[in-house]
Amino acid sequence: MNLTRFRSWLKWMVQGQRLESEMETEVRFHIESRAADLVRKGLSQQEATRQARIEFGGIESHKDAVRASLGVRWWGELSTDMRHGLRLLRKNPGFTAVAILTLALGVGANTAIFSIVNTVLLRPLPFRDADRLVRIYFNEPGLGLRDVRFSKPELDDLQTRSGVFEDATPIFEGSENLTGVKRPERVEGVNGSFSYFSMLGVVPQIGRLYGPQDFVPGFAAEAVISDGLWRRAYGADPNVVGRIIRIDSDPLTIIGVLPRGFRHPGPTTSGDAEVFGAGGFIGEPFPPPIRDNRVLVHGIGRLKPGVTLAQAQARLTAMAAELRHDFPTDYSPQTQWTIEIQSLQETLVGKVRPMLLVLLGAVILIVFIVSLNIANLLLARASGRQQEMAVRLALGASRGRMVRQMLTESVLLSLIGGAAGIATAFGTLGFILRFMPSNVPRLNEVRIDWVVLAFALLVSVLTGLVFGLAPALHSAKVALSSAIREGGRGSGYSTTTGRLRDVLIVSELAFAVILMVGAGLLLRTLRGLLQENPGFNPTQVVTANTWLGVPLDPKTDPYRGITGTAAFDRELLRRMKAIPGVELAAITSALPTSNSNPNAVGGLAIEGFAIQDRPVESSQDLLAERIRISPDYLKVMQATLARGRSFTEGDEDGKQPVAIIDQSTARKYWPDGDPLGRHVRFGTDSTEPWTTIVGIIEDIKNDGLDVDGVPHIFVSAYQDPSKQVNVVLRTSLPAALLEPQIRHEIESIDPGLPVFNVISMDDILDRSLASRRFSADLVGGFAGLAVLLASIGIYGLLAYMVSQRSREIGIRMALGARRDDILRMFLRKGVALAGLGIVAGLAFSAATASTMASLLYGVRPHDPAVFLIVPLLLFAVAVLASYLPARRATKVDPMIALREA
Amino acid sequence: MGKAIDLLQGTLDMLILKAVSLGPLHGYGVLLRIQQISGEQLEIQQGSLYPALYRLEHQGWIASEWGESDNNRKAKFYSLTAAGRRQLHSETEKWNRMASLIANILRTTPEEI
Repeated sequence: MNLTRFRSWLKWMVQGQRLESEMETEVRFHIESRAADLVRKGLSQQEATRQARIEFGGIESHKDAVRASLGVRWWGELSTDMRHGLRLLRKNPGFTAVAILTLALGVGANTAIFSIVNTVLLRPLPFRDADRLVRIYFNEPGLGLRDVRFSKPELDDLQTRSGVFEDATPIFEGSENLTGVKRPERVEGVNGSFSYFSMLGVVPQIGRLYGPQDFVPGFAAEAVISDGLWRRAYGADPNVVGRIIRIDSDPLTIIGVLPRGFRHPGPTTSGDAEVFGAGGFIGEPFPPPIRDNRVLVHGIGRLKPGVTLAQAQARLTAMAAELRHDFPTDYSPQTQWTIEIQSLQETLVGKVRPMLLVLLGAVILIVFIVSLNIANLLLARASGRQQEMAVRLALGASRGRMVRQMLTESVLLSLIGGAAGIATAFGTLGFILRFMPSNVPRLNEVRIDWVVLAFALLVSVLTGLVFGLAPALHSAKVALSSAIREGGRGSGYSTTTGRLRDVLIVSELAFAVILMVGAGLLLRTLRGLLQENPGFNPTQVVTANTWLGVPLDPKTDPYRGITGTAAFDRELLRRMKAIPGVELAAITSALPTSNSNPNAVGGLAIEGFAIQDRPVESSQDLLAERIRISPDYLKVMQATLARGRSFTEGDEDGKQPVAIIDQSTARKYWPDGDPLGRHVRFGTDSTEPWTTIVGIIEDIKNDGLDVDGVPHIFVSAYQDPSKQVNVVLRTSLPAALLEPQIRHEIESIDPGLPVFNVISMDDILDRSLASRRFSADLVGGFAGLAVLLASIGIYGLLAYMVSQRSREIGIRMALGARRDDILRMFLRKGVALAGLGIVAGLAFSAATASTMASLLYGVRPHDPAVFLIVPLLLFAVAVLASYLPARRATKVDPMIALREA
Repeated sequence: MGKAIDLLQGTLDMLILKAVSLGPLHGYGVLLRIQQISGEQLEIQQGSLYPALYRLEHQGWIASEWGESDNNRKAKFYSLTAAGRRQLHSETEKWNRMASLIANILRTTPEEI
């Protein structure tokens, strides 16, 4: 379309009214002029006008041709169709309400879930050129270890020798004590290199950030704080720069405040990092920079521009091989030490992808079912509109034009539903986000942006086309003569419409089955986990956490070494036991199922250890989680001691170090011998004394109800210091009641210690299942909705059939059919459809269930119970939904039915 | 008008351009002018004149303006634009070439093959 034509088209599009009146004037002028000429030729005025009109031809069809030639006809037709559609919707408020409500639900759920998927999985991380940011793993596949620590020389190798990184830094993440503010707080801290911020490409909102020019050995004496901490602790003070913040009792000078949206791109133990320090990784407190001193953790890096992930990976693999060759003493061959990179986004969101995709799949299925349901309703209505269609056809409407009209109507409906759905999404997104499990990253970034809106629009239009197409094509096939002759009444359950509706119902049921199978598997997993024996009794246990802090200068540490922490632990337990209502008190360094593992500070939660009298080479692959506990811990938790003894107050510093292991550790490392009395030692320092195994307990699910196979070695907190102190109290009092007293007691020992997570053990177990519960509940809810919609579909179909065939039923009964026969006739129909749908759905589920495997625990993707119960349940619902209309069929009075016909 | 010839497909546009090239005309005037020049030989479906007029205007070959007719009535007058003049010229060329070509073909005698 060239410019002239476009301008003219636009003119008439905008001035549609003027076009109409101009055409009208022109045509009238023409006819009157012609009539006047004819009068002059001798015709009477009346005859002349008549003649002029005949010669002109069909005025309306010529006008129509004018509109077509201007390219504005479709617009006129569209607006007519839309007006017509709106009128129809107003005329059937019941249908309209059901359609718009279900659409609002379907599109709303899709929009909300998609906005989350879009943010978490699709949108790049909010950093400059985020696709070049990678997570760097140092692996020892020979020992089955991933993400092991690395050394300063290895960091230098990344930065210079590899040639693929613009920059790389280790990241230390961990809890820190924030003091010098109103109340001591536990905050998340991050310590990276001085170029951490420039690598990410962050600009501060106040002050400045670290840069390479700030480099000092050891740790910097400055800190950058988050927007959240700045508002919370400093009341958004614009002059905050230069103030002193005390982190683990180190005085740090605040140099800048990060922008509001900034989030450290890494997993923190809880919440978001709020205090950012920097380190030089050489000089005190770092060990000498030799390859064997591996203390650095969690590498992240930025690839050079133009370097792809695959190229970088190939180079790093090659470099690792060179290093293994060049430094054979630092890299023992059996470790197969190597370097792996992964896009940072994948690292952050990879774990939640299956859950989000299952949720997205569920909502897409729901919108399918909703649109099939509406298609069904529309099809029923289309049968009622056969006469209207036939009259239109007879008056010269083309079939294509009629299909367009029907589609306009349904897309109109879907757009209204879609708008309602977007409103629903806006209204409920906050609610959904509140219930999203906290292990889903980037939830703070979730917005309904134009991508999400485009998706919502696409879903609406597609559903409109899906549910509109069947009735539209059907109406275009109307047999002209018969429809008019029958006068629109009871053309019966015609085969074409019938088959179409059958297909719709069958697909609806199949989709419902898929959702139900998914929900069934998730719910079975959840139920299994809820019934799982954690190896301890969580009821009537209250826990509280504190953190003793790790100052940069060890001399300023009031809880230095085993004497410092053990003294604190003893005093703490003495005070805890004195709280009225507390029966027993104990300490652990790692609360079960709470991922509050202190070792996250130093990277690996799992450490290597050696067994006395075993060859050193094979001791390398001995790994266990070391947990420090006080003597009463097993009693408080009511864990079962299988053999040997528990710790006593006498298992303290200076005495023979002792350990307790669990049964799976015993089976794993002492498959044929008795571990009691054997000796183990953590780390590689051969001057450390051996620890004697004195007891074996039954397994405790310490790392999560759905985590198996991590070996645990418990050691005495009075022999092995821990800065992470988790108090466990056996008490019948609720956590909320105990919190002020616990807080008071800890503060009276040291007012600088933060007290956090005062919560019952039951709640901890509950929270550990939050993610699974969320997805199981949501998919379960959708499955319930799907069953409801599908049964409404069956019910509607059969009810419609019964009303359409009442005459036939009357004749059958008049000819001697019994009520049972009639009942069976309709029931058979419902049952046949349900059976087909269920079989199709089961087949599809069976083929795709394995995609859910990563979300399941203790349940196989093809769990026979689920695959048996779901069809039975749905079948029962389908039979009931068919029975109600079928029974109505038997109530047909043959006399009335026949007379009406 | 039994002796009248039906308009050849696609030639109406050309005739309209020619008619208004001789001076601005309203719709009915275009009809009269064509019939007058053709010596009342051509049969034009009167209503179909208007889609053609709007189409030509849409393409920018004629322009329209509201004015007064001979009998002092409000009427829309069409006139040829510069682009229309070029269009008429090339259409005329094409028509003439086509006409002589076809005439030649029809004149062909068996001996010439």
